[in-house]
Amino acid sequence: MISREVAWRVFAGEYNSSNLEIKGEGERAPSYIVTPLGAMINRVFLVGVLTDLDNIGAGEEPLWRARLSDPTGTFYVSSGQYQPEATATLSKIEPPAFIAVVGKTRTYSPEEGTVYVSIRPEKVTIVDAGIRDYWVLETCRSTLKRIAAMADAKDMAVPTVDELVKLGHTRVLAEGVVKACEHYKDVDLGRYRAMVVDALRYLLPEYRRDQEAEMPREMATNPEELEEEEEAKEVDREEQVLALIAVLDKNGKGAPWDQIVDEVKRLGLDKTALEEVTNSLLDKGMIYEPVLGRMKRI
Amino acid sequence: MEKQELAPHVSEIARVLGNKIDEKDIEKELDTYLNLYRVSLETAKRSVVRKLGGDPNALTMGVRKLIAELSGTEMSVDLLVKVLTVNHKDIEQNGETKQILYGLMADEGGSIAYTAWDAERFQLERGKVYLIRNAYTKEWNSQPQLNLSTRATIEPQPDDSMKLPERMDVPSYGPTNATVVELKEGMNNVTITAKVISVEGRKLETPNGPKQVFSGIMADATGKVQFSAWHDFGLKSGDAIVIRGAYVRTWRGIPQLNFGERAGVERTKTSFGSDQELSKPKLRSIGELESIGGAVDVLVRGVVVDIKKGSGLIFRCPQCKRLVQKGLCRIHGKVDGQPDLRIKAVVDDGMAALTAVLNKDITEMLVGITLAESLREAKEAMNPEVVEEKIKDRMLGKPIEVRGNVTSDEYGLMMIVTEAELKVPEVRSEAASLLSELEGTQ
Repeated sequence: MISREVAWRVFAGEYNSSNLEIKGEGERAPSYIVTPLGAMINRVFLVGVLTDLDNIGAGEEPLWRARLSDPTGTFYVSSGQYQPEATATLSKIEPPAFIAVVGKTRTYSPEEGTVYVSIRPEKVTIVDAGIRDYWVLETCRSTLKRIAAMADAKDMAVPTVDELVKLGHTRVLAEGVVKACEHYKDVDLGRYRAMVVDALRYLLPEYRRDQEAEMPREMATNPEELEEEEEAKEVDREEQVLALIAVLDKNGKGAPWDQIVDEVKRLGLDKTALEEVTNSLLDKGMIYEPVLGRMKRI
Repeated sequence: MEKQELAPHVSEIARVLGNKIDEKDIEKELDTYLNLYRVSLETAKRSVVRKLGGDPNALTMGVRKLIAELSGTEMSVDLLVKVLTVNHKDIEQNGETKQILYGLMADEGGSIAYTAWDAERFQLERGKVYLIRNAYTKEWNSQPQLNLSTRATIEPQPDDSMKLPERMDVPSYGPTNATVVELKEGMNNVTITAKVISVEGRKLETPNGPKQVFSGIMADATGKVQFSAWHDFGLKSGDAIVIRGAYVRTWRGIPQLNFGERAGVERTKTSFGSDQELSKPKLRSIGELESIGGAVDVLVRGVVVDIKKGSGLIFRCPQCKRLVQKGLCRIHGKVDGQPDLRIKAVVDDGMAALTAVLNKDITEMLVGITLAESLREAKEAMNPEVVEEKIKDRMLGKPIEVRGNVTSDEYGLMMIVTEAELKVPEVRSEAASLLSELEGTQ
């Protein structure tokens, strides 16, 4: 039986932390992204707020880039001429709007060892807040199932698919969890539990006030980064990199990544530090990647 | 290929050659074929055996697989199985009578129907475990079937080398008690207590003359099942009965309960609650349905993630009701198509997906457009696809609850929908209870 790839419910906070891709071998074999909690994703179903939408292509070759935010972070969605249906729908939407996206996973590896994930949409549709809330709840449930499976795997000396299935987890999840254990080593389950707790509070009016106060801080940075944050210095670096990107963008198509890497060496930044800065700028919506390997100011 | 890797193949070739040839010579031959002439391992092994005077067909060419992995197109496959049932049958072959065996075999992941084309050669015993080599599969009724022909070999294994999930195993201690939701393909000697919802007698023409079969629907608290009684037990709708010695066969993935003359049927005083409660469809997850293959009158929840091509305003052949494309029916050629509305929606619950087929009435109700209106709109727009667009706008991304019978074939699960509702389940109370659960454990 050919079964259709299921549409996973996953939060941006979990999806964007993924850097393991399993490429299908042979014709038409599907590829998967394995998240730190072991979701083995080929297709996703997302509902969130469309916050930004730009067409960075032109004419016959449109390329829409969209940012979709959920209570835990931002999904990056890009849709071009080969996604005619999604592209046509996106082009008519005015952000902000609640939208639902069914899409396929995509990765981008600017160099060995770094993997960025995004979504290529198959279907895009406008929905309402009620459907968004229901998606958040479903995604909480689904995330909790993965946390439980991962917790069971961590209790095993060597986690195996069969043992996990015996404990009542589905085979698909068990396979993903075993792969995630090997790749991500020690996954911080506390972070994901906290993410689910935050998302559930987001649905409940009695918590709404606290949430709004906390939100900007939570949205902007990952918890791990918070600790070693040296805010002033970072802002400074961001401005330097931003200026550099503007200077190197000689033909309006964006600054080539390799040149940025070379130039920032003078500022005393290595590649990893640069990535942190550009990621932060991408998150803040101050730069974007018009094409792979190029950065451009917004 | 390294020497170490060659070793198992060398000993296999030695076995096929009756251990009469020195393994060193075999290794040298094999090495030449593989590393000098660079032919495939399979070809190399066959050539070596042939060269050294053996029968290459005796080689284990198959790859060990699980039953669940079989597609029905394997030319040669190895399996470790437990034999669940063995039946004998006489067939005519080239004017001679020959006895063959057929029945069911299972491994940890599933079961399969088999035919062993020689009862003498394959002395399979019920409940025993065998390593089968060089069998082949064929597809029949869209299910793979295993065949053991003269090329195949069987090797008995210790009984404890295979542990089957309890429900699938040979009923070694007599009958299996089951509820409707537990019924699965291949179960035998089932004892079940249920209430007859409907029953209808019909006459069948069989090679042994006309036969009467009584079929209908039964239910218990877990769900509904179609049944066929191959004997007149005087069943009436409303009867609460205990059946002993029933067996399960599936039709398009739906498990069906069968019982014949030798089965025991008794009336029971067991109460099944109100008929209304009993006839309500039961909520099932799509993943659960996928593992069984189908079900009668169930409820499924999910989100509409796709509206398939062929949804919306369609035209059907007035004679055979098949879809008319570009004014042509596949069977009747150029016809004047009759308009109809339908939706083929993919419903996905995050764990599995099924295709739900919604008819005209349900489509009109869900989308809020009548067939007459769709015809008019399509005419105005000069494009029948405007209706499909409308359906997409209304349904994509929305939570949905659908009710109906679920079947499966090579393209996956399908539900013929009898009722559908687009509704967003209540979120807050569940969010609050999940939250208190989580905060309680932290």
